[in-house]
Amino acid sequence: MTTKTFSMDQVKFVAEYAAHLMGCGIHTSRVIRNTKRLGDALNFDVNISVFQKSIILTIQKNETQQIFSEVIEIPALPISFEHNSELSGLSWEAVDRKLSFEEIKAKYEKIVSAPRMNQWLVLLLVGLANASFCRLFGGDWLSMLIVCIATFAGFYTRLFLQARKINHYIIFIVSAFIASMLSSTALLFNTTSDIALATSVLYLIPGVPLINGVIDIIEGHTLTGISRLTNAFLLIICIAIGLSFTLFLFTNRLV
Amino acid sequence: MIIFDILSDGLFGAIAAIGFGAISNPPKRAFKFIALLGAIGHACRFCLMTYLHVDIASASLVSGLIIGFGSLLLGKPIYCPTTVIFIPALLPMIPGKYAYNTIFSQIMFLQNINQPDLKAKYMEMFFSNGMVTLTVIFLLAIGATLPMFIFHSRSHSLTRRAYK
Repeated sequence: MTTKTFSMDQVKFVAEYAAHLMGCGIHTSRVIRNTKRLGDALNFDVNISVFQKSIILTIQKNETQQIFSEVIEIPALPISFEHNSELSGLSWEAVDRKLSFEEIKAKYEKIVSAPRMNQWLVLLLVGLANASFCRLFGGDWLSMLIVCIATFAGFYTRLFLQARKINHYIIFIVSAFIASMLSSTALLFNTTSDIALATSVLYLIPGVPLINGVIDIIEGHTLTGISRLTNAFLLIICIAIGLSFTLFLFTNRLV
Repeated sequence: MIIFDILSDGLFGAIAAIGFGAISNPPKRAFKFIALLGAIGHACRFCLMTYLHVDIASASLVSGLIIGFGSLLLGKPIYCPTTVIFIPALLPMIPGKYAYNTIFSQIMFLQNINQPDLKAKYMEMFFSNGMVTLTVIFLLAIGATLPMFIFHSRSHSLTRRAYK
């Protein structure tokens, strides 16, 4: 029975590959395409059904006509475009160069365990990005500086709370509140304070699930599409709650 | 002076695209094209709105289309899927001012619920700002993804490398 246990390894690997792609923010049709392609490379026929929290795969061995089924939960991973492009590339490489299972698995582990971008660099870039956002909406240099500092503090809060595994809706409310609270110091100066307040929370906008949700719905994966949009919508409501705490405190001075 | 305005708009659009892209951990080779498309997209919308007086929704659709086609062209040399390039490039165009005004007018509506004229004013402000926010985000997404559906066989094989 050695061949059978060996195949189970491959089945589990293909399922893990699909769940990882789904977890790190890739639209559903690409996940299905990549997984089927990887199955081709390993001499499988893969049939796959994607739900919002789990994936069901049925895998048929081409030579032996054995059938395996696997249900795997989709892990909640941070969004990673690097995994998106590298793992898609891996599925093409597996087909084009006829890699063996061990080679594919080794390459997969290497891609998945690669370190993410330096967090301090991301922090700096996000601060600058939000400041230039403020500029695009017509803010002056002082509001840009205030927004940059506020974003820095807000994003640091987000990373700090994420490392402590706090519920991500609460993270969004707290970071939106801290960023908008700090940027409300713009009210003390004679500057474009409403633009500073408006742009200080925009770094939290969940752009990836919003666009992936639209793509999924258009391509007919309505279930996953709507679940992604619902998640994004809840996060946007959390941003609004965080911002509205600040606005409640300062409404008399804003009008 | 017009050229300076357009260039500075593009520059800040590029910085915003890079920063918001960095949150999603893109491959390092993608950054130059994210910045380029972010700059072109935002500067294009700026030109359409300021000099040709196009409304924000149509201008966003045009910019979205440009970014979508751009990501299809630029994805091939660096082996990146279109979404990796166009999502960060779209983010600077999210209409933050309108989104803020939606929330602001909602709070003002609740605080002036006993004064009919103010209440009506903030209700109107809430709906018009909310409508602009939703339409612009929707049209941006449609514009950027349309090229992907038209040229789907090309967009499926962007990550395929040539092996000898």
